[in-house]
Amino acid sequence: MSLQDQTIHRYRLFFPQETLRQISERTGIQITRVFRLLNGKPMKLGEFEAFEGAIQLKLSENKSFGRLNSLLEESSSLLTNDELSRLANYVERKIENKKYTRTYLQPLLDAAVIA
Amino acid sequence: MKGLSSLERIILECVGVRPLTYEEILRQTGLMENVCFNLLQALIIKGLLRSEAGHYKISDISPATMEDLNGPEARKAESLELIEAVLEQESDRVFRFLKIALDPRDEKIFLAMLSNVESFLKDAHRRSQSTVPVKNRRVVFWGVGEVDRLLKQIMIGG
Repeated sequence: MSLQDQTIHRYRLFFPQETLRQISERTGIQITRVFRLLNGKPMKLGEFEAFEGAIQLKLSENKSFGRLNSLLEESSSLLTNDELSRLANYVERKIENKKYTRTYLQPLLDAAVIA
Repeated sequence: MKGLSSLERIILECVGVRPLTYEEILRQTGLMENVCFNLLQALIIKGLLRSEAGHYKISDISPATMEDLNGPEARKAESLELIEAVLEQESDRVFRFLKIALDPRDEKIFLAMLSNVESFLKDAHRRSQSTVPVKNRRVVFWGVGEVDRLLKQIMIGG
């Protein structure tokens, strides 16, 4: 998956129900351009930053995420491989369970592309 | 992910007894419809479940896969998941955590009592497993550890 695809995928995880118009309003990118980007047109640096900026803004609403990030950074130099593996397994399980309880995203993405 | 999540396990426990329809799985597990559907799809993709004539049944699972699903690491992670859920319960929570002094004699008595409790639970399960749906079963756990050894374990990161 390219960096651009990853960014769009992450954006969709945070804003699964947004229409093209709402994405356009949030990122400041023209609606027709948003349509093209979601359909695989290469992003310009400014557009990439606009999507990333929206994601970062959403992340900053959650204070625990920043804490988790800095703890992960610290754990990488302090904890053993086994301990890190256990932490990773724990987080992975949380994510897997959450995915089961969320509606599958692809139809929503398709709907937004068509909208 | 190593092993199964508790959500995946409950589906396999249900269809492990006999093949079930989607509605029967819903009734047995008490899961929400979309969650149940997602889980069934995931288990089919993982090759653990198959669908035949409207019934879901467990696929032939290789010993290596079985080890991956039921190995000690996987079971430990799954137990922790359920224990954590018990701790997070907001109502009707039954949980005791004690640090107690036991002399060797009392410890033997205590372990014998636990053994009795286990026998009782196994008998109770045998009697009721055909009538009580999986969703209405109880998660019961206990464990004992010596403080000194546990602290050492924590220090070495075990």
